[in-house]
Amino acid sequence: MEEEKGGFEPKIIGFTCNWCTYAGADLAGTSRKKYPPNIRLIRLMCSGRIDPMFVLKALLNGADGVFLGGCHPGECHYIKGNFYARRRIAALRTILKQFGLDNRVRSEWCSASEGDKFARIMKEMAEEIKQLGPNPMRDKIL
Amino acid sequence: MKGTELKYDDLEGFLKGLIENKVIDALIMPHRVGNKVSYMLVREKNKIEPPASVIFAPSFGVNAANVIKGWMIDNKVGIVAKPCEIRAVIELIKLKQLNEESVLLITVDCSGAFKNEDYAEHYAEIGNLVDSAKIKELEGKGISIREACAICENRLADIGDIIIARVNGKVGVAGLTEMGVEALSAVGLLLEAKDLERKEEKERIVAEARKRLEELPKIDSVEALEEFLQDCILCKNCRDVCPVCYCKECFFDQPLGNPAGGDLLNLAELRGAIEVPANQLLYHLTRVYHVCTTCVACGACEDACPKSIPLTRFYPVLAQKVQEIFEYVPGRDVKEPLPFITYKEEELEERLR
Ligand code: SF4
Ligand code: SF4
Repeated sequence: MEEEKGGFEPKIIGFTCNWCTYAGADLAGTSRKKYPPNIRLIRLMCSGRIDPMFVLKALLNGADGVFLGGCHPGECHYIKGNFYARRRIAALRTILKQFGLDNRVRSEWCSASEGDKFARIMKEMAEEIKQLGPNPMRDKIL
Repeated sequence: MKGTELKYDDLEGFLKGLIENKVIDALIMPHRVGNKVSYMLVREKNKIEPPASVIFAPSFGVNAANVIKGWMIDNKVGIVAKPCEIRAVIELIKLKQLNEESVLLITVDCSGAFKNEDYAEHYAEIGNLVDSAKIKELEGKGISIREACAICENRLADIGDIIIARVNGKVGVAGLTEMGVEALSAVGLLLEAKDLERKEEKERIVAEARKRLEELPKIDSVEALEEFLQDCILCKNCRDVCPVCYCKECFFDQPLGNPAGGDLLNLAELRGAIEVPANQLLYHLTRVYHVCTTCVACGACEDACPKSIPLTRFYPVLAQKVQEIFEYVPGRDVKEPLPFITYKEEELEERLR
């Protein structure tokens, strides 16, 4: 699976909430904003539904990056789901940091009207992960 | 902190009095079998052994909190245990695995403990009571306290309902909560106002503990983690003895977390080859996330590992980093909410990307 750095196309798994970030991605699509096709989105009802284990599983199974998206703080459809999500993600990234895996996990608040922002984040993230190279977990016998 | 001073020998009357005066229905406390120290659950006051020879014994077997985990009872049980064990009980109360009213927490000073098998083997040299000078001396002879104890900043009893401190060749007893003060007055220990504040000692312990933490070998890359866990046989003892790992049904006992047969073949096909037993890294990374706010750094997991993996370098070390970002100290205060069930509207943004 070793790809040359130039030809490396990262696989990014995204977990996004139904109400904001997923809708934002939709908007980016319907308004024909271009962004790299590296992301595979999984829609959850709320960023509060993101179990950190989803992220661990994705990383251990070789995802090159994991994107987590939710409504802006204070704008959660369920009022406070994203406040809890933020604490969990911060804790998880603290753990991942110890092993140099935190920079493969990025979370952003992106509303339903921010199609532009979604496209921009996807560009940035694809670029960042390309710089990092493939996830070392990919080729390991785990 | 104000309390009263007793002689070591007075402790027996105090503990017996708690049962006699029906302050508690039962008492969990250490007891001695030959050279060994373990716990017992006492209901009859005359079964209480002279506490002075056991409650400070520097021996760690189980975390006493794990014994009482999940007891949703109306009775009241007293627990005489070390600070890390009482802190775990306090976390269990917050996790709704215990009723606050059904426990009377009696915390004793700890000077650092030996694995119970090491303690028994070297009992002649260690004895019933040690202090930091004695621990240094024993270390010189190759008899060392547990790694979890070497990095522990919380050895002085300062939480729970009642504390039993070691001061000037005597014991200092103080009630920290209303329940504790009531219990003490029920057994006739009216409190003189002896000052039990031990700021300098605490500072010395913290400085030493931090130094020892710095000296621990670090697991700082994926490769290092893989190597660290290489011998793990996934027996899950580390989970079973952990006082704050409390799920009724663990994910790793279910088909998805513990795949077998066709599921395992499919996973192996996906990756080409997989390590078996499967999910070694996922198990430990998930477990460390699950206990990251509540781990009391007791080291019970390390003691229980049949493969002698030094788990203190993983669980408490990582948990402390998470606890720092929430400024949370497990067991510090029963009223303080668990970090994952509370939030601030503005926080942590710098840690998300
Ligand atoms: S993870 Fe280990 S050190 Fe932490 S509370 Fe559980 S048994 Fe104790
Ligand atoms: S106790 Fe040791 S061998 Fe057993 S699961 Fe834990 S780390 Fe692995």
